[in-house]
Amino acid sequence: MNSTIFSYFSQSKELSTIISGLSKSLGFDATSLVAFIVFAIACLVVVGALATIGGLGTYAERKISADLQARQGPNRVGPYGILQFLADGVKMILKEDIIPANADRFTFILAPFLCMIGVFATLAVVPFSSGFTLTDLNVGIFYLVGMASLVGVGVFLGGYSSNSKWSMLGGMRGASQIISYEIPATITIISIVLLAGGLSMGTLIGGQGGMPQEWYMFHNPFAFIGFFVYFISALAETNRAPFDLPEAESELVSGYHTEYSGMRFGLFALAEYIEVFVVCGVATALFLGGYKVPFELGTGAILVEKLGLDIMLAKNIGQVLELGSFFTKTFALYYVVIWVRWTLPRLRVDQLMTLCWKYLTPIAIFNLLGCAVWMYAFNGKSIYSLIFETASTVAGHH
Amino acid sequence: MFSNTLFMLSAALTLGGAFAVVYSQNLMHACIYLLASLFGVAGLYACIGADFLAATQLVVYAGGVVILMLFAIMLTGGTGNKINRYGLEKVAAMGNKKTYFTAGFAAVVTSLIILKIIASVLRAQPSKELAANQVTVEKLGTLLATDHILAFEISSVMLLGALVGAAIISRPRKEKHD
Repeated sequence: MNSTIFSYFSQSKELSTIISGLSKSLGFDATSLVAFIVFAIACLVVVGALATIGGLGTYAERKISADLQARQGPNRVGPYGILQFLADGVKMILKEDIIPANADRFTFILAPFLCMIGVFATLAVVPFSSGFTLTDLNVGIFYLVGMASLVGVGVFLGGYSSNSKWSMLGGMRGASQIISYEIPATITIISIVLLAGGLSMGTLIGGQGGMPQEWYMFHNPFAFIGFFVYFISALAETNRAPFDLPEAESELVSGYHTEYSGMRFGLFALAEYIEVFVVCGVATALFLGGYKVPFELGTGAILVEKLGLDIMLAKNIGQVLELGSFFTKTFALYYVVIWVRWTLPRLRVDQLMTLCWKYLTPIAIFNLLGCAVWMYAFNGKSIYSLIFETASTVAGHH
Repeated sequence: MFSNTLFMLSAALTLGGAFAVVYSQNLMHACIYLLASLFGVAGLYACIGADFLAATQLVVYAGGVVILMLFAIMLTGGTGNKINRYGLEKVAAMGNKKTYFTAGFAAVVTSLIILKIIASVLRAQPSKELAANQVTVEKLGTLLATDHILAFEISSVMLLGALVGAAIISRPRKEKHD
């Protein structure tokens, strides 16, 4: 059985009393009903939180870019302008919703929703903490890759249906770029799957520890290179600078969403910012130890032992620590993504394809082979434990 | 209860999508309906506990095949005028009453024949309860690398052939100097 958020909550006594009480008063087994309600609430929380993070992402982007360019940035709405994204949202909703006369109506309306569906569907397996993962599918990371590819369809259809040259070029560039960069990203993911021995997010993170030397990024040299290959591919897959050719302002006005206005444009932008968060989260989960906290604080066992806390309370504290760990790492990567955007100039199309097919893909395949050889040669031990063992053997011979 | 609901939704999506594909006059829209239908098929796989197959269906069809089909339709101008300059339909209408009737009749007859053939098998083996969410990835991997290695290798040779063919077609032709 896949472990889900419901299986975490069902450890607590309160939930079982609620279930038994409901079963008595309703006259049937209420476990499925309560599970449904728990899932519904959790989905609402995740979608709401991620939409807020997406909105705050636009604010962070403007504030950080302003910082890098020695400007002020938004500073009128709320303290330090932090409510700017709400003002933007209201503006988007109130704007006139224009559909070009010669656009393909059905596709034009569908495209932003495809982007949104693709991104939000991936949230089902994003591991926020060991308990607060909506569901820990057996094929979690594979499902995530498959769902994220819907965004490519959305971008392409958005460009195609607008019936405008800028949109068309942007959509074509977007689709070909997303398809191309999926290959190095997926191969790098496979090399990490090889280290962990499973496709579920729980297995992938379970093989790592809280301390940096236990992360897969520092497991062996190939995984270290793999992190950068994945990060570059993720930047390109989410159409972020320096790979933002699909929406290159200087050539294509605004690329595939040139003809979109109002909230339809807002959905595209929101999907992009949430997708950046998701790929940063995946990078955290695969390479940077995910939600793991040092000294196994996440399980709460040490709190029960040393402080004598209630077991469920200790577990909940552990979950909060894990959430903190995951979000700290992910937001650090998010900052790097924005930082890169305002630092590097945009690539040309041919440079983009050269980088993907002549550099990243061969390096990713080399990393996959390297990881396999490493697992075979060193019995799956990390470089840190190898050094540690050698040192202790040498020290033992005095 | 839950798996029944999932099955109903997936089946409805598959059949509805497939019907819309043949019904729609616009190739681009047909391609989008096909995407919905393929998603339904992934849902059907998930119903019978084949999680890896379902995810593969998403990755291969949603991510790869549908985008390539969209590209092909766009580059060949599939959604232009349906009527040529002589007033004739370039793309024959895929759905009219005659075709629907014939296809429906054929489908009913075929399914009845197939049911008749496999009836003995269905009666002999009562349907077993599915074990909940077994990990199928490892079994699949082991089988692919041992029992079915020949099929695996042959399919990779086919992909290599496709790759070489694409490279030859897209290579700029050399000018002949005589």
